Amino acid sequence: MKGMNEIAAIAGGTWNRILRMRVVYVLIACVLALIGSAYRYDVLSLGQHKALMVDVSLLLNTIAAILVAISITFEISREFREGVATTLLSKSLGRTQYLIGKLIGISIAGIVITGLIAVGFGLIFSSAFDKIGQEMIVGHLLIMASVIPMSALAILFAVLLPESVAAIVTAIVIWFAHSTTALTNIKIVYGGILPDLNLFNLKAEAAYSSGGISWVYMVLVLAWGIVYSVFTTSLAGIIFGNKDLK
Amino acid sequence: MENVIEIRNLTKYYGSFFWKKPTPALDNLTLDIPMGAVFGFLGPNGAGKTTTIKLLMDLIKPSGGEASILRCAPENVEIKKQIGFLPDEPVFSSYLSANEFLNICAKLLGIPSSERKGRIAEVLKIVKMTKHAKSKLGGFSRGMVQRIGIAQAIINRPKLLILDEPLVGLDPHGRQEFKDIILQQKASGTSVFFCSHILSDVETICDYLGILNEGKLLCAGKLDDLLQNTGLSLHIQPGHDEIAKKLLSDASETVKLPDGGWNLIFANKKEVKQTLLGIKERHKDVVTMIPAKENLEKFFFRKIADATKTN
Repeated sequence: MKGMNEIAAIAGGTWNRILRMRVVYVLIACVLALIGSAYRYDVLSLGQHKALMVDVSLLLNTIAAILVAISITFEISREFREGVATTLLSKSLGRTQYLIGKLIGISIAGIVITGLIAVGFGLIFSSAFDKIGQEMIVGHLLIMASVIPMSALAILFAVLLPESVAAIVTAIVIWFAHSTTALTNIKIVYGGILPDLNLFNLKAEAAYSSGGISWVYMVLVLAWGIVYSVFTTSLAGIIFGNKDLK
Repeated sequence: MENVIEIRNLTKYYGSFFWKKPTPALDNLTLDIPMGAVFGFLGPNGAGKTTTIKLLMDLIKPSGGEASILRCAPENVEIKKQIGFLPDEPVFSSYLSANEFLNICAKLLGIPSSERKGRIAEVLKIVKMTKHAKSKLGGFSRGMVQRIGIAQAIINRPKLLILDEPLVGLDPHGRQEFKDIILQQKASGTSVFFCSHILSDVETICDYLGILNEGKLLCAGKLDDLLQNTGLSLHIQPGHDEIAKKLLSDASETVKLPDGGWNLIFANKKEVKQTLLGIKERHKDVVTMIPAKENLEKFFFRKIADATKTN
């Protein structure tokens, strides 16, 4: 497909950069240590330490996914500020291709990082208790998938807003999109302009094994995430296409 | 002659808000750059040189007018495969090695993977950075970054090279090497458009020139045509000091050359010209006479001063 090489070059540069950062591996190690420590909370949790471990793993993996997605606002803003984007865009690379490359790169990096946490959790859980349930697998897979729409949102705000506020606004929007069901009646906010990231949240089902979760649900949520990301990145592309670069 | 760049009434305003009057960075610029030329774009700080280059590279959007580059609109992404560009103050991803960075540039320029490795080695050799190929760009000095910037600009063997202040950050040796690279590019058929503050360098490598001031083009054309004939220059071959001594009192500038010859500059006056023609006639074999040209520095300051007076 025309332009795929250029997108792959940008994506490769982006995920290489993220995965070369030592802090990423420190983050994964800390998350796995916290998940493992949940095993020692059998007394404090009145014997609920199994559910607690699943809950902690999903929560911390979600936080890791959010951190990775937010990091792209800093990455894009830095490339604009320092002029790295100027050099890249002086080559045979369209502005939308640049953003798609960034989205794919950060999504791959996010999926790898959250995937490592999920695998680590699987090993810890299966050695501490018994084999992991299908709900837990789907729960972690959906968190891995949630990196895509969150990164698309981060990219939109990175091209729309100044560097200093882009990350803050992204964090607030992601928090709203993940937050309680108290706001679900505001239709324009949920399932409208903002993504409903609650679709990716299966903590209760996974922690308490409340029946199997349909794989179809997972596929539909993933499809929704991709469609939302395409829409958001297209919007970012239109805005970026008319923007003056440093 | 075919033009590599054609600019028509190109205008760019910055800072237009409801309460703020927009500032024109470029005001109705019309300019043609012929194919095969080395075009020097001069002007004081804030004249609009970098704005022009950014408009040509589609990094910023024009407020009015249009430009074409290799007969295509600047928005045409494909045409950039035939263009090399070195930005002002180049900054590259610090975590990448020179090799990795050039590989990304080569991919973005559509260079086939089978050719990439060889081409990267070739350009690193041209800019004398082969031994730093595996070093991280973050540890490079300003001059080394500039060399890598030149390498990424020529990696695709461009038809047009656009360089924004390419000689900044280079030591005298580096500047000479860089001028040689520009001349090599010209010899291989590449057209070069570059802006610089270093007038002596522009004078030695450019054959075309444009001067911009406060967003307006003051003049553009062939360097030889632009620089005025300010008098007559007489060259006397070594071993003929007696001829030179007769003329010393009338000359406005005298230079004794290392080989023993003389260069004498005279004002463009009718009676002086008659005398010199007489001497040239009598000493045909040892005396040559050519029109003396104004140097670029004098020309540049004269143009800027004239523009300031007019404003």
